[in-house]
Amino acid sequence: MTPLPQTHTYDLRDSISKRPLMGFWKLMTGFRGFYVAAVITLAVSALAQTGASLLVRHFVDEVLPLPNFADFLLGIALGFVLLAIVQGSFSFMSGRLASQTAEGLALRIRNFMFDHIQKLSFTYHDNMKTGELLQRATSDVDAVRRFFSEQAIGVGRISLLFTVNFIALLTLHWQLALISVAVVPVIVLMSFFFFKRISDLYEHMQEQEAVVSTALQENLTGVRVVKAFARQDFERARFEEKNFEHFRRGRKFLIMHSFFWPLTDILCGAQVIGGTYVAARLAIEGSISVGTFLAYVGVIWLIINPIRNLGRLIVDMSSGLVSYNRVLEIIREDRELLTEADHQANTDLRGEVVYNLVNFQYSNGDAVLHDITFTAKPGQRIALLGSTGSGKTSLVGLLPRFYDYTSGKLTIDGVDVRDYSRHFLRQQIGIVEQEPFLFSRTIRENITYSVGRQVSDDEVFAAAKAADAHEFILGFPDGYSTLVGERGVTLSGGQKQRVALARILLKNPRILILDDATSSVDAETEDEIRRALFKLMEGRTTFIIAHKIQTVMHADQILVMDKGRIVQRGTHHELLQEPGIYRRIYDLQSRIEDDLQEELADVG
Amino acid sequence: MSADLHYEEEEFDGHFNGNTLLRILAQVKPHWKWVAGFMISVGIVSMLDAYFTFLTKRIVDEGIIPGNVDVLGAIALEYGLLFLLLAAMVFVFIYLAGVLGQRVRYELRRKVFDHLQNLSFSYFDKTPVGWIMSRVTSDTERMGELVTWGLLDVTWSVTNMVTALVFMASINWQLALVVLALIPVLFRIAVWFKARILAEYRETRKLNSKITGQYNENITGVRVVKALVRERENLNEFDQLTTNMYKRSFRAAWLSALFLPVVQLISAIAVGAVVVLSGSQVQAGTLTIGGIQAFIGYIAFMMWPVQELARVYAEMQQAIASAERFFSLMDAKPDIVDKPDAIVPETLRGDIVFENVEFYYTTDKPVIRNMNLHIKQGETIALVGPTGGGKSTTVNLVCRFYEPKSGSIKIAGRDYRDYTLQGIQSRIGVVLQTPHLFSGTIRDNLRYGRLDATDTEIEDAAKLAGAHEFISILEKGYEEQVGEGGVLLSTGQKQLISLARAILAQPDIFVMDEATSSVDTLTEALIQKGMETLMRRSTSFIIAHRLSTIRRADRILVIENGAIKEMGSHAELMKAKGHYYDLYTRQFRDERELELERVFATATAASTNGHSAEAEPALRAEPA
Repeated sequence: MTPLPQTHTYDLRDSISKRPLMGFWKLMTGFRGFYVAAVITLAVSALAQTGASLLVRHFVDEVLPLPNFADFLLGIALGFVLLAIVQGSFSFMSGRLASQTAEGLALRIRNFMFDHIQKLSFTYHDNMKTGELLQRATSDVDAVRRFFSEQAIGVGRISLLFTVNFIALLTLHWQLALISVAVVPVIVLMSFFFFKRISDLYEHMQEQEAVVSTALQENLTGVRVVKAFARQDFERARFEEKNFEHFRRGRKFLIMHSFFWPLTDILCGAQVIGGTYVAARLAIEGSISVGTFLAYVGVIWLIINPIRNLGRLIVDMSSGLVSYNRVLEIIREDRELLTEADHQANTDLRGEVVYNLVNFQYSNGDAVLHDITFTAKPGQRIALLGSTGSGKTSLVGLLPRFYDYTSGKLTIDGVDVRDYSRHFLRQQIGIVEQEPFLFSRTIRENITYSVGRQVSDDEVFAAAKAADAHEFILGFPDGYSTLVGERGVTLSGGQKQRVALARILLKNPRILILDDATSSVDAETEDEIRRALFKLMEGRTTFIIAHKIQTVMHADQILVMDKGRIVQRGTHHELLQEPGIYRRIYDLQSRIEDDLQEELADVG
Repeated sequence: MSADLHYEEEEFDGHFNGNTLLRILAQVKPHWKWVAGFMISVGIVSMLDAYFTFLTKRIVDEGIIPGNVDVLGAIALEYGLLFLLLAAMVFVFIYLAGVLGQRVRYELRRKVFDHLQNLSFSYFDKTPVGWIMSRVTSDTERMGELVTWGLLDVTWSVTNMVTALVFMASINWQLALVVLALIPVLFRIAVWFKARILAEYRETRKLNSKITGQYNENITGVRVVKALVRERENLNEFDQLTTNMYKRSFRAAWLSALFLPVVQLISAIAVGAVVVLSGSQVQAGTLTIGGIQAFIGYIAFMMWPVQELARVYAEMQQAIASAERFFSLMDAKPDIVDKPDAIVPETLRGDIVFENVEFYYTTDKPVIRNMNLHIKQGETIALVGPTGGGKSTTVNLVCRFYEPKSGSIKIAGRDYRDYTLQGIQSRIGVVLQTPHLFSGTIRDNLRYGRLDATDTEIEDAAKLAGAHEFISILEKGYEEQVGEGGVLLSTGQKQLISLARAILAQPDIFVMDEATSSVDTLTEALIQKGMETLMRRSTSFIIAHRLSTIRRADRILVIENGAIKEMGSHAELMKAKGHYYDLYTRQFRDERELELERVFATATAASTNGHSAEAEPALRAEPA
């Protein structure tokens, strides 16, 4: 039914241009034909509409005076119907083509933005607020869509109607035609003037609308506090004030409207009445026929009416442009290169990781890692211990190239990480986070999220069993089809963690990063998760980020980090032998148990 | 958000409902003069619109054909004057309807806000905030528009059609009958189209919120998406959604584009019919040239009122659905109301007694089972136990946020249902785990505790709560804005302020839901101090996590599955080696491990600075 536009092939970055209208034109690549056709069909439709007025002229001037005019009446009647059919079908085609352009472009922009956002760098996402990004991707894109569906077409429509009908008037009587558009510039200017103000007032009102709904939301979320202090009357008074201010602004906005419309009515009326009077005088003098007069009366309104809306369109257009620029700001940002690589890896990684004097700093100059040097052999467990902000997460973030290191050398299996493609590295590396992010889908979909292929139930179950998740999943009425998140069940921290583990197990990475994976889990489930984790670590090079000695003591190598440097290294036993942070933390942790025993002894 | 949408969809479908319509109209009854005003003015406008076509006929028949310039001048003058009248009437109706629309919205909001303040906790427990929000914001708007612009459009359309028909009949009644026959056909078609278009738009709105949802998830989870290399699949999924959106909105658009031509075609057929039929009429002299023109003009114009009516009809269904939702909120009754003879208590100082108290939200799931408890004036009670065990419900019952389903609670020797709600709740101070502040200054928020408090009293309370220090460091001190929900302050700071707010209220009963995290040691110590101030004066209920608070309480209640499992002092319960003992040992480990991060930070700082490890305030001296 509907030919779908090609959306994946067009790169919106090609449409970036200094001049916004040029940018729009470029953006319309592939739709220009539709758009031009929409304009042409609209012109045909307008011609047919004007033709009906001319048919009236023909009917009155040339048919009615004939003695046998009754014989022609059916023909004239058919003429009206025919013109209506032409007008209707062409205006339908035009509308269809125009919406195809606008909706097709919206589809193109939405898809591009979605893809672009998910391919922007980590640094970009670190610095950009979710709400801001979301607003640009949704409401600004919608404003651009409206630009194409309403404003661009609307302006085309008005200019076309004006041109066609003005030419029609010129052919009727050119002096009359000129008189008939005398007030048009004034109407355009006035409508522009007013709509600027009207849209300002509208925004003013909307701002207060936001204030009102914030006040309401605060009241509703704080309902316990309101009730606990019995402050209902106080709240009423406060809301009243904001609500009334909204009413006041709304009233202002409407008063502006109530001036604008009658004022333009008067101008339009003066134009039409003046024109009609002159035309009637000409008809009486005999310089135009009665039919011409009637045609004139039909056409004049077709010119005047659309002009009133021009101002509104122009003002809306300017806000469409603002939105488009906000969208462009995102489009201009560079993406991460995902598949490009100097080194084509054909097999899985073995997992030998070598950091050699690796430094990393953000583009703003903040140094995060200094001279990191160590080697992880395939299958080894490397533990990173340190306080928040000591650089542990940044250090492992260099491996899947979430960030690229700035100097030194970091190799995996002897190849510089920067020579691998990001996709390849990320497929080979699995990360278990402290608070895993699950998507609002079924549990099964969450588990199979990272494998781009059909997975059998057996495989999913096996992964879930290994992650100790199978049983609790089956405990839900919908089992693996249970929806997670807002619209579904809320999982506990431990349950989420186990689903995330199953997800990683199924992904089967060669290198594993456990980012404080057990710290947000309560004591009972912690043991189960730890068991599952041990299973997961077998045969994979593993980086463990942790706070607790308990978690790191079995590692092959423990790196103690502080302020972006490695300050101590060795195995658990080695580190216990030397004085330093590690031993102090160990002592402290053992002392907690001693204290507890002491306390219990006191009571007992 | 989507959960709320779901909640909204399932209830009201907007089928035509006369009662609801009457109820909406009742909202503008006090403003009937305004309504009458805009209906009369728009009626005049509508009649003038129709008359202008007739004027053109007169120009032709009385001016041009007989060649009478004087008549022409008179008609033009009449035309001009009437146009001024029209403009004046347009001003009047936009002003009256527009301002009244805003007014109605304002009043509806005031009423519903008022009503919301009276509703009980149980209503807010089961109703999502988003649902209430959209009742108050968008539904009131739709209702306001229906009683103003909707009514106005109907008046305009009906008057216009009737006037036009009268003029047509006066020109030639046979032809007028032809046009009259056409109106129902036009109307049916228009309604059919509008309903379809509206349905498509509704669908696109649903899709649109799904698209926003996808964006939201993909942006918040972008790190996981990247780590799991899901970009291509996600784009494909998103593409399905947007393609669907494309199809739907395209369909809606071309339906709209088809609508007008179809109506126009029918008008054209009518024009054709008039032309054919006019032959004999012109010959018979019963129809003039101006008359034919007028008919053509009327028919061409007829589709506008018909279209307007169809639009209003379609939108009315939405407005009625809005109104039904709105009224369902207005009709919700508060569970807890004052008895007719309720008294305002002098004070709530006195013993609090639970007698066989039962409570449930739904009958099959009891939350509190047969609870009996006697609390002496001034006692401090710590409530401990697992999440969902009934701790919060117990204190909510004390505050009379809920009332017992059976059994009773007595305060100072009287069933507390004999007191007014206002009387009880104004003598209670509450500090919640997630402290809620209102946007405004710190002073505004503190004063919330007691509206007539002087500035000195406010500052004294802040000092007692330990909040004064951090407030005075702030640039604007007490005049500092806290931001929406207090976002500009840390959780610890918010807690201190909500504590000071409770101190200022000088409550007889003090309730605190203690927070565990987000508070540094210093703040923790300050909070303790502030709490002691309150606990000395009031009967206190603390939902406690911190061991220091628990140990300090006069009595500890272990609440599990809605019942008191154990009760007694710290020492007694430890000796018993029951639930409390287990809870305490587990909590002890957790609490100490929380200190690790801090210890770690100081330890590394000390070691990198080359200092010995002794300078460690949070720790006891190390064993040698």
